[in-house]
Amino acid sequence: MRATNMKKAILKSRMLLAPMVAVATLLLTVFAHGAAPGITGPSFDLRAEAAYITQPDGAMVYSWGYGCNTAPSGFAPSAIGNAFCSSMQIPGPTLIVTQGDTVTVKLTNGLPTAAGNTSILFPGFNVTTTDGVIGLLTHEAAPGGVVTYTFTATTPGTRAYYSGTQSDLQVEMGLYGAIIVLPSSIPSACTTGFAEKNRTAESHWGESDFRLAAAAYNHPKACYDREYLFQFSEIDPRIHSQAQAQVAAADCTPTATTPPALPPTCTLNVATEPYVPAYFMINGRSMPDDMDGNYAQQYQHQPYNGNPHMHPGEQILLRVIGQGRWQHPFHEHGNHVRVLARDGNLILSATTPDNSLAGPLLFTTTTTPGQAMDGIFYWTGKGLDWDVYGHNPTSPEINGKLPCIADSNGYNTVDPTAINYYEWCQDHNKPLESKPFGDVAKGGPITLPDANILTNGAWYGGSAYLGPNATVRAVGFTGTTPPSGTIANSPTDEAGFAFMWHSHNEREITTNNIFPGGMMMMMLVDSREFRIDESN
Amino acid sequence: MFSGKSYHIWLPILLVCLATITAGAQSFRVQCPTTTITHPTAANLEPAYTGPTNFAPGPAGYLVPNPSSVNGAIKCQQISGGDGFATMGDGTQTYMFSFGPLSGLSDIANGLPGTQFPDKFNSVYNGTLLPGDPATTGLATFKFNGAVGLVPNLDCLAENAAAAAQTPPAALPCPNLPAGGLDGHVDPRPIMDIGVLNGNIPAPLMALDEDDEFFLTLTNVGQIMRPDLFEQHTVHFHGYPNASAFYDGVPDASVAINIGGSFTYYYLAPDAGTYFWHCHITPPEHLQMGMVGQIYVRPRQNRVPVGQSLLLALQQQQQDPRTKCDSSADILCSNPLPRVPNVLLGTRATTGNYAYNDGDGSTYYDVEYPLQIHGFDPNFHFVGMTFNPEGFTEMKDKYFLLNGRSYPDTVTEGPLQTMSADGAMHFSQPLPSIIKLKAGQKALLRISDLDVTEYQTLASLGIPMKVIALNARLLRDQAGNNLYYNTNSITLAGGESLDVILDSTGVPAGTYFLYTPNLDHLSNDAENFGGLMTEVRVTN
Repeated sequence: MRATNMKKAILKSRMLLAPMVAVATLLLTVFAHGAAPGITGPSFDLRAEAAYITQPDGAMVYSWGYGCNTAPSGFAPSAIGNAFCSSMQIPGPTLIVTQGDTVTVKLTNGLPTAAGNTSILFPGFNVTTTDGVIGLLTHEAAPGGVVTYTFTATTPGTRAYYSGTQSDLQVEMGLYGAIIVLPSSIPSACTTGFAEKNRTAESHWGESDFRLAAAAYNHPKACYDREYLFQFSEIDPRIHSQAQAQVAAADCTPTATTPPALPPTCTLNVATEPYVPAYFMINGRSMPDDMDGNYAQQYQHQPYNGNPHMHPGEQILLRVIGQGRWQHPFHEHGNHVRVLARDGNLILSATTPDNSLAGPLLFTTTTTPGQAMDGIFYWTGKGLDWDVYGHNPTSPEINGKLPCIADSNGYNTVDPTAINYYEWCQDHNKPLESKPFGDVAKGGPITLPDANILTNGAWYGGSAYLGPNATVRAVGFTGTTPPSGTIANSPTDEAGFAFMWHSHNEREITTNNIFPGGMMMMMLVDSREFRIDESN
Repeated sequence: MFSGKSYHIWLPILLVCLATITAGAQSFRVQCPTTTITHPTAANLEPAYTGPTNFAPGPAGYLVPNPSSVNGAIKCQQISGGDGFATMGDGTQTYMFSFGPLSGLSDIANGLPGTQFPDKFNSVYNGTLLPGDPATTGLATFKFNGAVGLVPNLDCLAENAAAAAQTPPAALPCPNLPAGGLDGHVDPRPIMDIGVLNGNIPAPLMALDEDDEFFLTLTNVGQIMRPDLFEQHTVHFHGYPNASAFYDGVPDASVAINIGGSFTYYYLAPDAGTYFWHCHITPPEHLQMGMVGQIYVRPRQNRVPVGQSLLLALQQQQQDPRTKCDSSADILCSNPLPRVPNVLLGTRATTGNYAYNDGDGSTYYDVEYPLQIHGFDPNFHFVGMTFNPEGFTEMKDKYFLLNGRSYPDTVTEGPLQTMSADGAMHFSQPLPSIIKLKAGQKALLRISDLDVTEYQTLASLGIPMKVIALNARLLRDQAGNNLYYNTNSITLAGGESLDVILDSTGVPAGTYFLYTPNLDHLSNDAENFGGLMTEVRVTN
């Protein structure tokens, strides 16, 4: 019920949504978080196959994707328990290996015979091929056939993989995925100091570690506390329906058995121009579907989500890949992103590469077809000039008057088990409101207006403040009136700070002409008392 | 008052009481206090930067600044959210959803930021504002920069006077009423007279200095051309680091402002840089329809006394954890101390300014120009004036705009005005884009892009572009090496900004061009001439 209301609230503002809400919300999981889930190797048995993927307007889009031919040797991170790998999924399975591994990827071509050969390119690696047939860019698997790619995962990082056969059609149809190479050694900076303290905080609140590793690279600036993988792509539904119709119409009855021969009608001739995409996806899903859980049952062919959560001060690794045909300006609300690396290549200072980064700081990270980016993000609330926890030194509640002991950088980091661990201390107890109503400090610069002249969003935490403790103290259990708008980010449960992460080519935050949708997700900064669980 | 368990009982009850009190309160209002915790002394100027603000524990449990060490000031601005018309390069009047100025009207019309110190903002117009002002009254005589609608709170003045007249004097009903009664109370009539159909493209220009507190009041006057809509509006400060969700302007994650209401956004100015702002309601629609504007933050370094060391000033900034950049502890700060101090440019120049706290004078400029790239799809705007839903996938811009104008309007001096549906002329596009340089001078171009459909490239013919910053962050690595680069073109998507310095040293006097090599963007709808282009004029 709660989930259904949430979706309705999100989607209320624009036309013709009732059918889509009904379809999309039936199986919604309430706690949907992110991480960068995938399958482990270093040997992978993949398959290319056709299936239908679902979009929030109710469309079932005929697509081709990579999947698991046989069960993978494992899933990672292990803290996500309900993992599966379909025989077709979009994006393809995220391949997780360790630097130095000899990686073998066996690909079976299970596409319709009329689709012809298929293949995988692994840009950034020196690949040798066995079996298969010779193609333009690499060896290919003929219909029903097999090809095997072998390479050494020489350097860590995030990279794309995708079809190297008739790419204008096959990548559009969904034949792409990601490979993550973990560093073979982790710098000590990533297991000591704040990295260690953040683990203490995590376990104090009963949170699991959802990382694939403690560092993205063997570099002291590549430590992280959480990670998310986002793959951007588009769908022009006319291409997909043409492919579907031609596959159905193609006569692929063999004309001979020895040697096997197919009739000339067993081919596709799908026009891939002009290109007018109507679906804009992150990890194969459009908003709001991308905020449902990883491996949610209603997305058998779209297992990965986009729903980042973090606590103040945590370092977040963003692995972002452009998998479609277009560039997309991905705008991260809330703070800048430090670009660590492009296509697995760290961007380091020319003078002191061992401890200094040189990648730019961006609030909009452009995704480029075929290119992968690693970046670090965090949020602390530093410099807002008011106490985001609404602390009040005269509060009757112990959590309302917690201390803030500034470290050399100004943050409250002495006790990693505190609710306000990593609070920005210069603004501690500093009021926002001139005459607040509830149990928060007074004497601040602002008078908030009558709540009746405002409209609350579905992710509004119910007050200006961070966390359920502060929100309930400030405005009560329902948030500011009228309370009905606050559903996805309950005042008494999460009350996080929600930030929209989305394509800033704003027409791409639509789903087949319907707003909202497309390349959009909400990122939540949660007070420590909210337990972030990325396992479903 | 709240103790133990009873707190949980009292809170909802008090909430209900509060609702009954505030329901009768007026919905339009402005906020611009003259003093705050952070700026305890009323001042209407930017003090020199001689060192970090020093704090000491105060009696209420938070840190209070030592008044003599305070940096920055209070700045205020009021904008309307509504609609309006603009004139395209081919003469077409185009309907917009738009923001317009409700303070700083004279400055905005003259191409300046509308952001004001409290004394200017809290001033009352002497006379009657006319629909279309300042265009109706005329630029030559219209000099008002205060908040439209601001009037003394007569009720409070009278109640206070009555309470004071009692023997013994009773407690004042409005204890914090400033002298003259200007407490943010407004008369809605001038707000509607000025605010309706006063849309600007770009939206009102805002400029802050680091350490400023900014009070931005958004007043939703409704869209008179679209009575079927009940559109809320918001302000998203695009690129603000460590933003608060409450003031981030995303309606899904916060609150949106209904028609007839005012909401004051509050931020301490973030680190220096070229940001921009826009409405975040239904972004593909409201941004395409014109709700986009510019905001930039000037660095502390500008306020260093002339002749003093910029490096020392940057070292001073390291003493306040809020203003320091320690790359070993903070992966998201962009201006560590320069690795190689600059002897030649290392002191505060007598003229000009700096784009960032560089500590080495390398972002010096003589003149600055905000340039915002945008695009209008005339079909979408036409449908947007009707009561029909617009499509998004086929959106195709046909007007390519620099500061809301296409060439040749980009090089028309003064504000462009448009006859709107109320029969009045309005200053719809206040900002020309003529880059004027004396030979040897440097111009800072603060370029932002809020196009909602595609990437656009802006090229410079003749004068190289030195890119010094991306996305409001200095291009400097963590070791302090400047990573500036020269180019003759920059490419931006909607949602991006960068800073470019044009150096006219050694450039002969003459007219040069900034234009788009996306050649189909050098057009104004059907006219095969115009588009995303403007002039750089170098004179001796």
